[in-house]
Amino acid sequence: MNREQLLAEINDIFKDAFMDDDLVITEETNAEDIEDWDSLMQITLITTIEGKYGIEFTLDDSLAMKNVGDMMDLIIQKVK
Amino acid sequence: MNHYTYSDIKIGDEEIFTHEITEDQMRLFLEITGDTNSLHADEKRALEEGYKGRVVYGMLTASLLSTLAGVYMPGEYSLINSEELFFVKPVYVGDILQIKGKVYEKNDKFNIITLKVSITNQNNEKVCRGKMEITVRQ
Repeated sequence: MNREQLLAEINDIFKDAFMDDDLVITEETNAEDIEDWDSLMQITLITTIEGKYGIEFTLDDSLAMKNVGDMMDLIIQKVK
Repeated sequence: MNHYTYSDIKIGDEEIFTHEITEDQMRLFLEITGDTNSLHADEKRALEEGYKGRVVYGMLTASLLSTLAGVYMPGEYSLINSEELFFVKPVYVGDILQIKGKVYEKNDKFNIITLKVSITNQNNEKVCRGKMEITVRQ
């Protein structure tokens, strides 16, 4: 999976979840960068990503995701 | 009360009001709903569980969104279709809440607006966030 394309797809998921069409994320973006990225939003993001890519994250995976790049690494690993 | 019609409303329009949560409101909510859960009704139990006191019913906090739609945005011509809410921090009796709604989307076919909503306390902490879809009847 192309990393640039994946980031664009995740950006769309973030725009929907945060209801912010102007939101631009990078691989370094983390919960401190986006006001509403709280624990409940983390669950929303994870379940949306799981549904989109047909994968399942473990609780350890969820805790290990410190930024968007970590999410991408896990998605790539699980989609393979 | 506001009287915005669908054509009056633009994406980005915003309405804000404040409301203090009182002991009396908690008592009335208990009477109306019969929700006797100890988190809301038993101070000692709530303290034991690590809260600062009895936690205000999430649905009491959320009920202020009825006011947001029915009085402020759009006001008179409001018909709430749906709400999706997240209760991200506890609310306590005495908290002064600021309720905010911002128009995020408009559906011209069905005269529906989507509001991005948030409720913050007197310490500027967000306690509730989410979205509402509202039909504007005129």
